[in-house]
Amino acid sequence: MATDTLKSRAGASGAPGGLRRLLLDNGALTALIVLVIAMSALSGDFLTTDNLLNIGVQAAVTAILAFGVTFVIVSAGIDLSVGSVAALSATVLAWTATSEGVPVWIAVILAIATGIACGLVNGILISYGKLPPFIATLAMLSVGRGLSLVISQGSPIAFPDSVSHLGDTLGGWLPVPVLVMIVMGLITALILGRTYIGRSMYAIGGNEEAARLSGLRVKKQKLAIYALSGLFAAAAGIVLASRLSSAQPQAAQGYELDAIAAVVIGGASLAGGTGKASGTLIGALILAVLRNGLNLLSVSAFWQQVVIGVVIALAVLMDTLRRKAGATPVASGAGGAAGRKGPQVIKYGLAAVLVAAVVGGLTLVNNGSSSAANQKVGLSLSTLNNPFFVQIKEGAQAEAKKLGADLTVTDAQNDASQQANQLQNFTSEGVDSIIVNPVDSDAAGPSVRSANKADIPVVGVDRGVNKAETAALVASDNVAGGKLGAKALAEKLGGKGKIVILQGLAGTSASRERGAGFAEGLKAYPGIEVVARQPADFDRTKGLDVMTNLLQAHPDVQGVFAENDEMALGAIKALGSKAGKSVQVIGFDGTPDGLKAVKEGTMYASVAQQPKELGRIAVENALKAAEGEKVLETVKVPVKVVTKENVDEFTADN
Amino acid sequence: MSDPDELLRIEAIRKTFPGVVALDSVDFDLRRGEVHVLLGENGAGKSTLIKMLSGAYRPDSGRVVVGGKEVRIHGAQDAERLGIATIYQEFNLVPDLTVAENIFLGRQPRRFGMIDRKRMEAQAAELLERVGVNVSPRARVRELGIARLQMVEIAKALSLNTRVLIMDEPTAVLTSEEVEKLFRIVRQLREDGAGIVFITHHLEEIAALGDRVTVIRDGKSVGQVPASTPEDELVRLMVGRSIEQQYPRERADAGTALLTVEGLTRDGVFHDVSFEVRAGEVVGIAGLVGAGRTEVVRAVFGADPYDKGSVAVAGTRLPRHDVGAALTAGIGLVPEDRKGQGLLLDASVEENLGLVTLRAATRGGLVDLKGQRTAAAKIAEQLGVRMAGLGQHVRTLSGGNQQKVVIGKWLLADTKVLILDEPTRGIDVGAKVEIYQLINELTAAGHAVLMISSDLPEVLGMSDRVLVMAQGRIAGELTAAEATQDSVMALAVSTPITTATTVEGSRGH
Repeated sequence: MATDTLKSRAGASGAPGGLRRLLLDNGALTALIVLVIAMSALSGDFLTTDNLLNIGVQAAVTAILAFGVTFVIVSAGIDLSVGSVAALSATVLAWTATSEGVPVWIAVILAIATGIACGLVNGILISYGKLPPFIATLAMLSVGRGLSLVISQGSPIAFPDSVSHLGDTLGGWLPVPVLVMIVMGLITALILGRTYIGRSMYAIGGNEEAARLSGLRVKKQKLAIYALSGLFAAAAGIVLASRLSSAQPQAAQGYELDAIAAVVIGGASLAGGTGKASGTLIGALILAVLRNGLNLLSVSAFWQQVVIGVVIALAVLMDTLRRKAGATPVASGAGGAAGRKGPQVIKYGLAAVLVAAVVGGLTLVNNGSSSAANQKVGLSLSTLNNPFFVQIKEGAQAEAKKLGADLTVTDAQNDASQQANQLQNFTSEGVDSIIVNPVDSDAAGPSVRSANKADIPVVGVDRGVNKAETAALVASDNVAGGKLGAKALAEKLGGKGKIVILQGLAGTSASRERGAGFAEGLKAYPGIEVVARQPADFDRTKGLDVMTNLLQAHPDVQGVFAENDEMALGAIKALGSKAGKSVQVIGFDGTPDGLKAVKEGTMYASVAQQPKELGRIAVENALKAAEGEKVLETVKVPVKVVTKENVDEFTADN
Repeated sequence: MSDPDELLRIEAIRKTFPGVVALDSVDFDLRRGEVHVLLGENGAGKSTLIKMLSGAYRPDSGRVVVGGKEVRIHGAQDAERLGIATIYQEFNLVPDLTVAENIFLGRQPRRFGMIDRKRMEAQAAELLERVGVNVSPRARVRELGIARLQMVEIAKALSLNTRVLIMDEPTAVLTSEEVEKLFRIVRQLREDGAGIVFITHHLEEIAALGDRVTVIRDGKSVGQVPASTPEDELVRLMVGRSIEQQYPRERADAGTALLTVEGLTRDGVFHDVSFEVRAGEVVGIAGLVGAGRTEVVRAVFGADPYDKGSVAVAGTRLPRHDVGAALTAGIGLVPEDRKGQGLLLDASVEENLGLVTLRAATRGGLVDLKGQRTAAAKIAEQLGVRMAGLGQHVRTLSGGNQQKVVIGKWLLADTKVLILDEPTRGIDVGAKVEIYQLINELTAAGHAVLMISSDLPEVLGMSDRVLVMAQGRIAGELTAAEATQDSVMALAVSTPITTATTVEGSRGH
């Protein structure tokens, strides 16, 4: 529809400069172009074929999800479940093909059927159960994520090789995800513009009652609409998993919000009735360009999130203003021409503000990158939402400063595919070496392999990388740490008693290894009974909640093993005065807060790693490797049980 | 020049919108203690003018003088400060708050920071009594009928110490009894010294209530005449030509029964409704608001379910509650709420016209967009829809043209029985006649029309037979010759014979 008005307007006034008009009539496209110009001006690495293809790859998953969500939003619904459904579909594919030995093509069909089935359930709940779409799909978000964890038992499953080619390149340069994105985009455009179901979406979104009274079978159409969204989510999940060569049960968390943002940035209204495939593609590209550009510019991970939020708001604001202004200047003759100037000024003004915001934001946080003579090192951390990793970062930064290297730190926010993007960006930027703290060891493989191809040495820190070459791995031994923890707790309890275990984020290697080590260490103490084992996701608040619940069921526990300090601190809060007296808590990591609790006696012990050491040694090795020096393949940083007796040595250190 | 009785004066005001000059050098003035009627076809610029006074729009040029001083009205607050209140057709009330809360919304009397309910309700009761309506200040607005909602709006306007009250077609949704009551209140306000701007399409109301009339045509004020001006003259001023005949019904010969409804019942809503509509016939359904007319036709069309009875088209019985089947059988419904149920307001004319035929125009999942466009262009031309192009958004069309689009989508689908629910509500005289002509063309071609209307002259003028409904039942059937205002009203207020237990109570007003 929007194209029609656009055409008729252009036709009516017959003005030259179709491109200018196109830009003026399309706020999102203008925003994208402004962004690209700004990024190219700020970073020489941005406007290269390789990097642009990277952006395409990085936009692909969001774009494919967003295409599916476009159908739903055009028909005035919302789908929050797409991220979970993507992960579930990929997990189903990997599980049936890899673990159950089903032929790959059947596994692919099963995965897509899973996506469609999830969508149909959403549709049934909404059409026939009369649930608000927000609630129905929120429920599916949780169910989908849960099922993928159930099927995979929380661990990533290797993706079948034949499907993994979807993550490769065609003819050595054209990435398949980009191709899939384009094909899905064309299909979306065709469905929205030309098919019965597509036209019905606009009618239902525009006025559901009018559509019903005009003979459209609204309920059945909604089933089809949500099923389409599920189908696209399945496709996105398969592309995502094939890029990482592994199906991650925790993949695509929060992607539904990116997808919705892309659709809305692209000019669709959450009230329904408007939206186009091209707009959604532009929206997804804006998000990808931003993330890529901010990586290339070495903007601090914390500021990146601020800038992304500001740009999303500005892009949509620009479009809203355009619409408001667009209501005035349809132009008939002289009066119209005069009326056009006002909104035009607003638009250019806004564009200028946007550029200024990005540029200003960047220079502000870019603490002046030092001279080119320095070595450039990229560090991709799995998360910065945890003091342990913040300490790794601090250790690395201190060492880089000392040795005069240029260190760029990125935060993958516990998302394997975002980490893949960041590693790819480091590679195309041509850093001298990369340090990676993988979100998942399998999933980091493909992007580290492409760094290998570009002859950039990679150093793993804290966790290793599978199926790829790393010059060195700097880690503390989690399994050994788990064993030490078991020993310390069992001995403190005198070899018998009831304990509970707070597990980390399901599917992470740290959780698996610490858990395994602890279980092994416990074998020597048959008197210790584990009464409960529940996940609290390495998170303090969740640790508090889970422990509170467990205390209801098992008021008589005597010991708690938490797979990190954060959860241990949460558990201590839940235990209140019992902590350190009738209940002994053991944490893991030795973070400053954890050590403080040990000192105060509320936490019995923490299995301490030395995160600053990890960061320091990683940078040291990365710099050596970049200069072609020989480095040790594995550098073990010692782990120690810290109790009240020896805590002072550690606090002095860290 | 400064007249102490003058409340408001507008001089040479101009306002343009994309592609249209909505108002051009319009003059208007309002004195203390008068009802000044604003008359004009839909799209003439009446609404734009009053929105300028309520602060919704700002004029491009010209002056607005209130109480002798030139003012700029930038928003609702400014209008409120100047003592100007507007009652729109769509009421600005919050359904789930009480009457008192609505009247004092945002200005609730407070004590120690808390809302003083007692004082608020007492004050509200006083205001409600002034407008002579018997509603508890504690009643929820959702529970009130349209007439009472309007009274609440008036009470709210009074609470603001309003000197200028603007009423946009207040009588369009009222029954004649309610209209009388409204008139009494307006006359009272006039005596109290307020100035009232009154918009209406009902010419007979002008002589009954008005003092002066300003006629607007195509965005220009074409004349100011006393309210006693003959109706013919007013129409001539309004449409720029004289309309020969207001109800140009040409009766075709009635053929076989196309639509047969037997014993249709939904418990508590309508009971034992039976009638038939023959080819070439216009059957009118008259009755008071709340008599169950809309509910019956919606059930016939399959939009809502029914409990007992049957609906048949040309002898074939239709399944219950199935719009698709009704549509395939050839029934079409032009709903009462044009904007809420008839149109995709932010979609194009083309898209709206093609909505019913969308499925039929689909081959292998793909819609024949070119064919749809050709068909839409043809029907728009045939109906004389005034628009900038097929791509224009329906929201920006005038009421009459919007209605033509709703009817047009059914004509494209080759509908045999067209149900029209209040087809000319809020539509100007010129467009009304065009719609009547369309009804003639349909029946002449052997189609049948079932028309609900609260406009009695319209029902009498256009119907071949009139069904009168009262309290959910058919109270009687009148031929065109028998039907007069009196006979229809007599049936409409009657209590139809009911069997044993009457299911009363929760019915609307």
